[in-house]
Amino acid sequence: MLQPNDHLIEKIKHLILQRLKLADMTPEMIETDAPLFGEGLGLDSIDALELVLGLEKEFGVIIPDAEVGKKVFQSVRTMAQYVLEQQKAT
Amino acid sequence: MRTSKGKTAFCFPGQLQERPRLEDHPRLIEDPHFKECLARASHQTKFDLLNFSLKRDGEEAGLNLKLQISTYLLSMIHFYRMRAAGWTPDIFAEHSMGIYAALAAAEAVTFEEGLFITESIGGLLEREGTFHRGAMASIIGLPLEEVQKICLDLDSYQLFIANYNGSMQYVLSGEEEGIKEAICIALSRKAISGKQLSFQTALHSPSLSSLREEITNLLKEVQVQSPKFPIINHWTIKPLKREEIKDFLSREIGRPVYWARCVERMLQEGVTQAVEIGHEATLTKLIRWMNRDVEAFSAGDGLREKG
Repeated sequence: MLQPNDHLIEKIKHLILQRLKLADMTPEMIETDAPLFGEGLGLDSIDALELVLGLEKEFGVIIPDAEVGKKVFQSVRTMAQYVLEQQKAT
Repeated sequence: MRTSKGKTAFCFPGQLQERPRLEDHPRLIEDPHFKECLARASHQTKFDLLNFSLKRDGEEAGLNLKLQISTYLLSMIHFYRMRAAGWTPDIFAEHSMGIYAALAAAEAVTFEEGLFITESIGGLLEREGTFHRGAMASIIGLPLEEVQKICLDLDSYQLFIANYNGSMQYVLSGEEEGIKEAICIALSRKAISGKQLSFQTALHSPSLSSLREEITNLLKEVQVQSPKFPIINHWTIKPLKREEIKDFLSREIGRPVYWARCVERMLQEGVTQAVEIGHEATLTKLIRWMNRDVEAFSAGDGLREKG
């Protein structure tokens, strides 16, 4: 599995803050491996759609369906890994 | 906090989907408006918001009714808190059963009448859920045409779009088996999310139009005044008039919620700041989805000073 570097991790965190308008948070407050949904950052399916759009706009990668989304949106790290994999594939 | 240059909308959300975790909000529990609202409510209802929020066991009888009353009380508490902090709304918008708190906040009905309406209609829905069980599901990430097609493909189940919450944000309502199938189909057609909601009735679908007469009857006891703040009627996209309110209440559970139209209307009116008068941030997120320039936040996220 491809391992994202700190720069990409940071970009993903910024994307989350920007897309979800989490004005009171900083990237440092998001743990790279913490769950994004439920008990973690507490995101929901409306947020998921924002992140789908954000990944497409920012990185040109597409989340084709809910099954892929579930895997990708587990954490910041899984999001970054997916971006790397998709970029490598193209 | 920056000062808004445009108008401020207060937005009243529909029913909570799960128990509010009030133990995570010690400041709220200690707030005088919280205590006052619960004390006023205790004269009228046996429901105890604080006890309800602290329980962590599974399903219980009358859960939806309890969630409806919780939603009403929390909206009223947050409304009084925001007003006490200096916030003055220009316009109200409401989603689904958020209308009850919106009416009480606009003083079209009293706090007690709003609670009576919430509990009475909630009781009717509870009964309906027992004898004619229905269900609802949020479908996120599919265009309207695709969601309509799912309803048509499952026409033997009588499925309807109950909430138009913005592009790719819809809620379906209908028979439970059909709703479950609709979720599977939506996911197979690349929805980002398909999730059954906690409701046990097919809310905002024609199947609930049968309750209209009973609602009309229970509203006979309620004295409706002209709202002190304009409340957008999401069917006409105009402010709800005093003489329309009872009819609106008797029909709205059998008709769809056009939330996206409300947001569009708010934007046309020059709203630049939208405050969700509730405990969660669902409407806040739906507004963000439609327009990223509006400063939207939930009163439940903590009390802000008016800029």
